[in-house]
Amino acid sequence: MEVGRLPISAALKGKLVSAGYTSLSLLSSLSPSHLARGAQTAWDMLHEEELLTRITTSSVDIDNILGGGISCRDVTEIGGVPGIGKTQLGIQLAVNVQLPIHCGGLGGKAIYIDTEGSFMVERVLQIAEACSNDMSATNTVSQDVHAGKVGMQPRDFLENILYFRVCSYTEQIALINYLDKFISEHRDVKIVIIDSITFHFRQDFDMALRTRLLGGMALKLMKLAKKFCLAVVLLNQVTTKYAEGSFQLTLALGDSWSHACTNRIILYWNGNERYAYIDKSPSLRSASAPYAVTAKGIRNSVSNCKRIKLM
Amino acid sequence: MKPENLLVRPRPTQKCTTGCPVLDRCLGGGIPCRSVTEIVAESGCGKTQLCLQLLLSAQLPPSHGGLSASSLYLHSEFPFPSRRLHQLSRARPFDPRHDHDPLEYIFVHPLHSADHLLDAMPKMESFVENFKSQFPIRLIVIDSIAALFRSEFDNNPLDLKRRSSMFFKISGKLKLLAEKFDLAVVVTNQVVDLVAPNEGINGLRIGNLGCLDSSGRRVCAALGLAWANCVNSRLFLSRDKEIVSTVNGARDECGCELMHCRTRRKLHLLFAPHIPDTSCEFVITREGISGVCI
Repeated sequence: MEVGRLPISAALKGKLVSAGYTSLSLLSSLSPSHLARGAQTAWDMLHEEELLTRITTSSVDIDNILGGGISCRDVTEIGGVPGIGKTQLGIQLAVNVQLPIHCGGLGGKAIYIDTEGSFMVERVLQIAEACSNDMSATNTVSQDVHAGKVGMQPRDFLENILYFRVCSYTEQIALINYLDKFISEHRDVKIVIIDSITFHFRQDFDMALRTRLLGGMALKLMKLAKKFCLAVVLLNQVTTKYAEGSFQLTLALGDSWSHACTNRIILYWNGNERYAYIDKSPSLRSASAPYAVTAKGIRNSVSNCKRIKLM
Repeated sequence: MKPENLLVRPRPTQKCTTGCPVLDRCLGGGIPCRSVTEIVAESGCGKTQLCLQLLLSAQLPPSHGGLSASSLYLHSEFPFPSRRLHQLSRARPFDPRHDHDPLEYIFVHPLHSADHLLDAMPKMESFVENFKSQFPIRLIVIDSIAALFRSEFDNNPLDLKRRSSMFFKISGKLKLLAEKFDLAVVVTNQVVDLVAPNEGINGLRIGNLGCLDSSGRRVCAALGLAWANCVNSRLFLSRDKEIVSTVNGARDECGCELMHCRTRRKLHLLFAPHIPDTSCEFVITREGISGVCI
């Protein structure tokens, strides 16, 4: 008897046929567990749900200390000295968010708010090309070709980054206020990166005004992250403060700002290696991991004495 | 101002050639527009030479790597090196057109203090905006930023904070100009001796080189971490004496061996958003600065 004439739901019929079982005789010799081979355990479902809310950084070591990658519904602050790789990480995330879920992305678009003029098209294309090549190298290409999709080209990655250039603190505030409306009209945005959140707020400001403005910004960004289930990544600068008898590096914008973010990552130099350190997180333990900035973008460090340090 | 107008299509960055293909290759094509590039070096390493050379190469057509542009040179060190500029302009054939006098396309303005620079910004903006010419202003050079902050600020926390605020104000305005008019901005800075450690999570290492050495001194850029946050790219020029050989065992009055020495000059890329860690050697001749392929 044909599967199509069995008294079962259309969805079940579809699943049986696509698995290759077109007639009852093919089914009669199978046991239930054999047929259920494609079913998921609850553990798998939880893992899949995790994947749906994390974006890879392209460095397995950093992804590991982050519990899989940068998480959605959270505001993550990333700070470090000039030249440590903040913008590089920002661009890598703007490219990676566009990757399909099985490659560590979310198949979405990125909003990149540039307040300092560090976003260079040639570098984005370079990172996108490396990503595109890495994707072709894996065996997922055949599935996409079957589905009629062409592999993403570097230009496509650039098109999916919605780029805003901000030149003053008033523009920055107006833009952040406008994001709710903008993202409602662009629902495929899955990450908002601000590079850097700090720059326009370090001129002379009445401190009370600055605290109020920053607090308002932080609240809006947190709401955006939760409402649209996207990741918000804020790149911050460092400054020195005098504490406990010595100069220490600390993220700019003062102590009151430190409550604005869910997660905080600090990038720093250790010898000739770059490290990422989880400074604050509700769910992750403090740990540091080495990484490298290469022509292809952010990658694992290839030093032979590297190790992930748990604090 | 409408926030929706802040959404722009990212454009490729035009570069201004340094006048030397070896240096250009090191810098990813030249000095980028819409960006602030800083040149850090101790005195006598070639910062001003490189700046003067850029004032001339900016006038080249894009087919030769230039911007077909006039330049604005703001100097805080006196006197302005006009003789060297004349020499450089005669040494290189800058334009095949015979009636092109390169010095007509360079505008010079003195600076006396940081406040003076801030006050001059609105005038600079209207100058660039209203300058109608076949060679619009596309390059601004400030030589040097460090000299502007030398005398006014003391080493107490309040003055340092005030000084920091000024950095961000100045940089904010320079970047606004750079973005609005698609300009390349070049700023020179000096060095100071390094005293603090630069290792670990509280270390002040900035950029690709673990330590900066010049003339046998361990140095770092002046104006501190705050100013380092204000520039997009930082180049470091170093100078060292290298012993080539002895002079046939000859000795001087004190009995020390005489040596043939030569000056080795290097350009290092400390950080930039678009170029990896690179460095190259260069020489300074009558014709200007040229990179050397090793």
